[in-house]
Amino acid sequence: MRSIETKYFGTLPCSEDSVFDFPQGLPAFEEEKNFVLIEPPEGEPPEAAPLVFLQSMARASLCFAALPILVVDGGYELGIAPEDLEDLGLEVGRQPALGSEVMVLALLTVNDEFGVTANLMAPIVLNLRTRRGLQAIRRDSRYFHEHPVAARAVHEKTREDPC
Amino acid sequence: MLVLRRRAGESFLIGDEIEVEVLALTQHGAKIGIRAPKETIVLRKELKITQYQNSQAASTPSIKDLEQVIKKLRP
Repeated sequence: MRSIETKYFGTLPCSEDSVFDFPQGLPAFEEEKNFVLIEPPEGEPPEAAPLVFLQSMARASLCFAALPILVVDGGYELGIAPEDLEDLGLEVGRQPALGSEVMVLALLTVNDEFGVTANLMAPIVLNLRTRRGLQAIRRDSRYFHEHPVAARAVHEKTREDPC
Repeated sequence: MLVLRRRAGESFLIGDEIEVEVLALTQHGAKIGIRAPKETIVLRKELKITQYQNSQAASTPSIKDLEQVIKKLRP
């Protein structure tokens, strides 16, 4: 099995089925065409450790933290544009099924002002069958690119956590 | 914000060198044509926002900070 250099976890073994092709890269990172999805260890229920990572294969220093979109907003409704469905190799004319056809992730940002936010306007959509991914920018204005995930990290840290 | 009412086939100018024409209107949206100097960057606003947001996400400082907060999501 091949291994990759990661930003947060050192060198990790990497199976072929965790690699996703991004033919267009991501906006601002157009040259990054391959990402490895780093998920919680096997057996751990996803809701117990929902954080996942998209690690660039070519650049160890580039790794996005993300959450499954339904963790951020349980009622999230997909709105993938027809062109993006086509690029992903999905049926145009209907939205794909979450979980069976596609995995959809919201990229996270930590910001002094807003705390942790998730980009619900432009989720990462992974076609689980073709292992192809892209960032599907919504054409509507239904969801915000800085959706608050939690209160400011600074405030959270000052509180005692019994766990 | 300046608001103009334009029909398909009509256009308007921004400065001396940029022309924006409404090519067609359908129930799915407006088809817009833009004539501008080559060096003018024309970008969908969502794309610009996404580029910025991705740059911010890529420079997210410490995963420990992030985990602290994510813990709060756990039941």
